[in-house]
Order: sequence, then C-alpha cells, then structure tokens
Amino acid sequence: MKRETREYHYDWNIWSIIENASRTGDGTRKEYDTLLKLIPHFRDSLDAVIRWGEPGTLLLKLLAQCLNAVLTAHEQGKKVALTTFCFAPPILHAFDVVPLVLEPMTVLGTFILQRGTGEYLDYCCEVGFTETSCSSQRGALGAYLAGLGVRPDFIICDSPGICDTNANSYAFASAYLDIPFYQLNYPPFLTGERASAYHRQDFRGLISFLEEQTGHTLDMDRLRQITAEIRRQSELITEINELQRIVPSPVPGIFNLFLYSGNFLMGGTPGFTDLLESMLKYIRGRAAQGLAGTRSGKERARGFFSYIDHYTTDLRFWTFLENRDISHLGCILSTFWQEDAPYSMEHPDAVYRVEDGDLDAMIDSLAMQVSRMPMIKSIRGPYDAPHMWLDDTLTMTRLLRADFVAYFGTIGCRNTWGMVKPYARDLERAGIPALILYADAFDDRVQSWDAVIDKMQEFLSLRKIGTGRPARRPWR
Amino acid sequence: MMEEMREAARALYHPLVRKWKEAGKTVIGYPCTFVPEEIIHAAGMLPYRMRGIGTTSLSIGDTYFGPVICSLPKCMLQLAGEHAYGFLDGVIITNGCDSMRRLNECWRKAGEDIPGILPGYFHYFGVPHKAASYSYEWYEEEIRELIKSLEEHFGVKVTEKALRKSIRLYNESRRLLQKLDDLRSGTEARMTGEDALTVILAGSAMPREEYTALLKTLLKDLKKALPIDKGRKRLMLVGSSNDDPEFVRLIEDSGALVVADSLCFGSRSYEDLTNEEGDPVASLSRRYLNQCRCPRMFGCYQDRLSLILDKAEKARVDGVILQNIRFCDLHGSENGIFERDLEARGIPCMRMEREYGPLVETGRIRMRIDAFLERIA
Ligand code: SF4
Ligand code: SF4
Repeated sequence: MKRETREYHYDWNIWSIIENASRTGDGTRKEYDTLLKLIPHFRDSLDAVIRWGEPGTLLLKLLAQCLNAVLTAHEQGKKVALTTFCFAPPILHAFDVVPLVLEPMTVLGTFILQRGTGEYLDYCCEVGFTETSCSSQRGALGAYLAGLGVRPDFIICDSPGICDTNANSYAFASAYLDIPFYQLNYPPFLTGERASAYHRQDFRGLISFLEEQTGHTLDMDRLRQITAEIRRQSELITEINELQRIVPSPVPGIFNLFLYSGNFLMGGTPGFTDLLESMLKYIRGRAAQGLAGTRSGKERARGFFSYIDHYTTDLRFWTFLENRDISHLGCILSTFWQEDAPYSMEHPDAVYRVEDGDLDAMIDSLAMQVSRMPMIKSIRGPYDAPHMWLDDTLTMTRLLRADFVAYFGTIGCRNTWGMVKPYARDLERAGIPALILYADAFDDRVQSWDAVIDKMQEFLSLRKIGTGRPARRPWR
Repeated sequence: MMEEMREAARALYHPLVRKWKEAGKTVIGYPCTFVPEEIIHAAGMLPYRMRGIGTTSLSIGDTYFGPVICSLPKCMLQLAGEHAYGFLDGVIITNGCDSMRRLNECWRKAGEDIPGILPGYFHYFGVPHKAASYSYEWYEEEIRELIKSLEEHFGVKVTEKALRKSIRLYNESRRLLQKLDDLRSGTEARMTGEDALTVILAGSAMPREEYTALLKTLLKDLKKALPIDKGRKRLMLVGSSNDDPEFVRLIEDSGALVVADSLCFGSRSYEDLTNEEGDPVASLSRRYLNQCRCPRMFGCYQDRLSLILDKAEKARVDGVILQNIRFCDLHGSENGIFERDLEARGIPCMRMEREYGPLVETGRIRMRIDAFLERIA
C-alpha cells in the first residue's frame, strides 16, 4: 500500500468527500457548473448522482450521515457492527448499533476514489486472502485490516449457506481482528415450515448475541417505530417497482443504485423513507409526462441486470446505458420480496410481511425480511429450483418486459460462476437474450471498462436490441 | 495388502468395487466428508467418495461450470460426462462449498445433453454451517429424509439395528486410522505420508468390513517395521482436498516426510467418533456437525488453529505446508491466517496454491519445496 494511501482513514476519506459532495447541489446551477470544472477526478461520479436533482442530493446527505455515524459511534458510546449488504440493518438500528456495511463501502471507494480500491483489494491478499476472493468485500476490508478505519466491535454476517466467499471474508476479518462473530446461516430452500423455523431460531440467536454485545435488551417501542418505517418503505419500493413496468420506464437507471444502497445502509430509518419519497416524486413526474428515466426521455431498449451492477470509476455503467437510451430495470440487488411487490404476487409464500402484533411477530417479520434479502433469497439453492435465480429472473423479465438480461459479477463469485452458464442457456431457451460479462464489477484490472463496453455493444448489435425493431419476446 | 489399498486408491472402478457391483449391490457416490457414510452403509450400499482422478481434459467440466471454479468438482463432472462414474447407482450432492454444491446443477444439465450420465438416484443433502441446537435438528431431519429417499428409491430398509452396527464399524475403523496416525507421526515414523494417504483413500472407496480387516493387518505389520524418518524433515500438510498420493510423494522425494495432515481426504475424516449410545440419528448429527475442521464451518478459526497446533506439537513437525486448490477461498484465505499465527509461534510455513488434477506443475512445486526445506534445514 502506498504511503500516501496510509495517510488517510478510508471511512473518513469517503465521508469527507461525500459530505462535501452532498452540498454541491445546494448552490445555484452556475456555481455547480463552475465547481465541476474544478474537480476533474470527481466530476463524472458527482454529476451522475446530482443531475437527478433532489433525490441525488438527498442520497449524498444521507450517505454522509451514515458515514458520520460510523466515525462518531465510539465517541457516542455506540457499538459498530461490521456487516454485509445481504443483511437487513433494521435490527441493528433497533439496538442502536451502527452498521458498517462492507460492500457499499467498496462501491463508494470504487467510484469515488481516483485510483479505485485496488490498493485495499491487494492489501487483503498481502495479509492472507486469496486473490480470487470476492472483490466486493476486499475493496473496503483491506482498509480495516490495515487499521485505516474505525475498528468494528463485532461482526454479523448472513451469507453462510448462500455465498462462501462472502462469509469467508467476514470469518477472516473476525479471526484477523480478533473480534466476535455471529453468523445467520441459511438452508438450501426458502419456503415451508422447516426453513421458516430455522430462520426464526437463527434470528433469535442473533438477538441474544446483540444483547450480549451491547448490554441492552431489545427496545419494544423502538422496534415498533422501525417496523412501521419498514412497512412504509416496503409500500414505497413496491410503487417504484410498479412504475418500472411502464413502457417507457420512468425510473432513471441510477435510482436502482439509490434504492439498494439506501436499503442496505439505512433500511428502517426515516431517512430512507424520505429518499424513497423523493425518488417517487421524480419518477411520478416522468411517468405523467410519458418520459423514460433516461436523460433524453426516450427508451430504445430495456435491460434487466440479473446479478449486480458495474461500479468502476465514475459510474460509467449508468452513463453508458443512459447515452444509449437503455432503461435499467433493476438487478437482483433491487428485489426485496416485500409482500405486495408486483413480482411477489405469483409467489405469495416467497415474500416477507411486516407484522407488528407483538414482539414475536415483529421479530419474525425481521427474520423473514433478512431471509429474503437480495442474494440471500435467490442463490441459496439450485438456480433452477422454485423461488431461485432462474425463476426470479423469468418473473422479473416478463413483468418488466426486458429485452435482454446481462450478468455482471465479481471474479470471486464461486456461487454464480458455478451455474451462470446453464442459467444463461436456460434464459436463451426461454427466448431471452442473455449476456455473461467476464468482468469484475469492482476491479477494472480484471477486464477494462472499454472491453466491457465492446462486449455489450457487440451483444446489443448482434441481437438487434435497441435498433428500433421490436424484438420478438414471448410476452410481446 | 498395501497393494490392495493402492489399487483402490489409484483407480475409480477398482477390483473391489467391480466385485461389489458383480454381486448386484449398490454404490452411492458422495463428494464431501459432511455426508454420513454410515447411513449408506446401513442401507446395505457402498458409500463411495467421489474424486476427480485421471482426467485428461476439462471439455465437459468447462462447458457447465464457469471459469473461476475449483477444478475438483470440474474434474468430477468431466469424469461423469465421460461415463467414468457409470458404476454409481446414486449420488448425494452436498453444499460442502459453493463450487461443490453447483455440481448439482451442472451434472443435471450435462445429463440433459449426454444421455446416461445422471444416476437414477440424485439427492441433495443440505448441511448447516454452524453447530447450534436447531442446526443439529436440521441435520437430523436431513438424515431422516436421506434414509427415506434411499428406502423408497432402492426398496431397502435402514433399520436402527443396522445403523448402530454401521456406527460401530465406522468408529472401529476410525480408531484404527487414529492408531495409524500414531505410527506415522510418532517419534519414529514408520510410514510415509504417501502410503498413509493411499490407505485413507482406499477406505473412502472400499467396503468397510474388508477395509477394517486390512487395517488391522497393516497395523500389526507396521508395528514391526523399521523407522523411516531418519535425516528427513518432518512436515505437516494442511488445506484443500488432496487425493493425490503423488503430490505427497513429490514432497517426500525432496527429503521430507509428511508425518501429519489436516486434510479432508486425510485425518479430518476420522478424527471424530460417533456416540454409540442414544438415538443413532442424533448421534450422527452431533458427530458430523460438531467437526469444525473444515473452514466451511465459519467462525471456528481458533478451534482449527488449536487442532493444528496440537497436532504439530504431537508430531514434532519441522514445518507446515499450507496448500490450496486455486479458487478454494475457504482454505486459501484461512491458510493466510494460519501462516501468521503458526509463524508467530515459531513454526515455519509455506503457502502454496495449486491446481487439482494431473500434476502438471511438478517443476514449480518441487522448486518451492526444495526452497522451503532449505529454509528449515
Ligand atoms: S457477488 Fe457473489 S461472491 Fe460476492 S458476495 Fe455476492 S454471491 Fe458472494
Ligand atoms: S474441504 Fe470441506 S467442504 Fe470441501 S469436501 Fe472437504 S469437508 Fe467438504
């Protein structure tokens, strides 16, 4: 790691950049345009977020708050939990524990820092990780292993049974930093009393762990407030999901990133509700005008990204789509399986419901919500089993009328690389053009962005997607 | 007797399996030590741990698996696709690790393209990643479902009496293997690591009764054998699956002796015994889920470190080779912390990433081992 990289704490560095970025939308347009000229390294990323007006600015302000909460947690006598994006944070908020979520921290570093997170990724390997481990944790974890950030008090991960390499990163961090570890562990299927009972018992184990770590018991009133917030948030997310089905889709592609990063970091908090409301205001406006969420307002193609997005420097992935009038219809990360989501209707047993009758009902709701989080739900079992990856993708692409499906992942993702070829073949057999990209969403060094673009363009042109000619999909 | 063991360790369809099949009996393949062999045995079948030996191409493995996947399950799929596993009447897949669990889909999909390669019985056995009251219950339930499905598919009955008998038999052979370990790692080692691995591998693919008898004779002979460790560095081999005695020979040809291991095709498969009292299914659940020796059981690093330290001390090792198959992040990353913690205690370590399959990297591996031996000389 370079000496200058060691000069700054990673979380402080990201916080200070975002804190400043969040104020850039407060001035006049002229001031903003002048500022962009002065920040050549940040300009594209900043503008990719701020140009959407209030929701973009609000997201940055909320992110700055989350980061500040991490930085000041210990001063305020709060505990910091190192955790994963697959884990829904409301239970942590209920215990007043501050979540430090690695993968969004990696995403932030990837698109904000001039040199990306390469040095932190590599630092993990210096201290023992295999270079083939998932980059989504390593990108930020390297900083924490190097002591360049707030020292977490304990670790909670819920990827065992879902993703080894993710769980392994957290287990490694626990052993390396010598801090307590709790794992939620998932069975290979989702529904049925056996799986639900397992989810519930495991989640109660987590509550005991949190009680032990914080010295507090679960606060019923606080939990009730959070439950009400989750209910409202689930309704708002459902409305966004509904609006996304309109042709053209009025939802700006980058709003998917807002949606899932918000939920991963601040699900259950009033701030996230505000963000969703602000996004909805914008989307409803576009829908009323019959405009697509792209910059031009036009839609030439609709894409569903069957796994994650691509985050390397400057958020170029979203700009690429926008410049080609391609609507980003979401990815696995933006599907949460709240009970009234359009995609939930056909799978009533695969959803979570928000119940607040008594303490047990609230705890069970949270357990169910966590067990339906992105990835946790859809890649725990065989990809072609009910409620799993293929089933979910077919449902989403049909409801959203997607013209194509593209897979972006990380090279460390054993789980999806273990099945993505047959999965893509099955999608093609169902009439859906499917593209596998051999890139790493967090690490340009694996495949350059130019190579990724070439592949995407080649695919779109070969499959005649977005050429103006209506593609022949089964649902058309 | 060693020759019989070698035959069983060297080939997939070796004479003892052939004999078993010719007698009209059933063989069930499984890929990971978290599958309870006792159940298959109690059903009157041969539990057969699948391997990926003898592959010369990955054309089929690579068609279904992605590029960044451990080559062990890929080699298994390749062999299945080439009908080399045609003698298996059934297969039990488990979620040992992510690469291995996707053998489920990849094998099924390959079966759609290559007729006759998917056994009629193909079962998924879901193993939790932690030991807690409810995960023991889960595992028990998995066992009961496994029994039911074997009974229904093959028209057999797994009685409690047969299960108890199988538990006793497996315990007996595991105790014998522990004794073999003593002879291998004692002050005067009497067996090479290559032969020890051969013996262990044979056990994963031959009828247990015959194996136990062979082990008894072998132990008697070994007690009379001369020590072989003089002037050789004593090493321990740790990490990803290794079912290749030639890899161990390569290490030993450089002047070392592999006197101990923590490998799942090694001592990890026999270090724990099953309680012979009480409900046999519950006892099996405890035995299999309590073993924290594989990093798939997350959050038990300290336990694994203690086990390795104890073993290293007992076997008086001069150094530890921490190896992993490429893309095996579980062992590969944990090896990184083992290296830190073992070196801090004065135990020299060497980390090595390698490919599973035919030893194509002999030169590189030998050079690294020579350098390590020089370091600890
Ligand atoms: S992207 Fe893949 S490897 Fe990374 S956390 Fe998700 S499932 Fe695991
Ligand atoms: S290393 Fe662990 S997961 Fe892999 S086969 Fe062995 S016991 Fe199973």
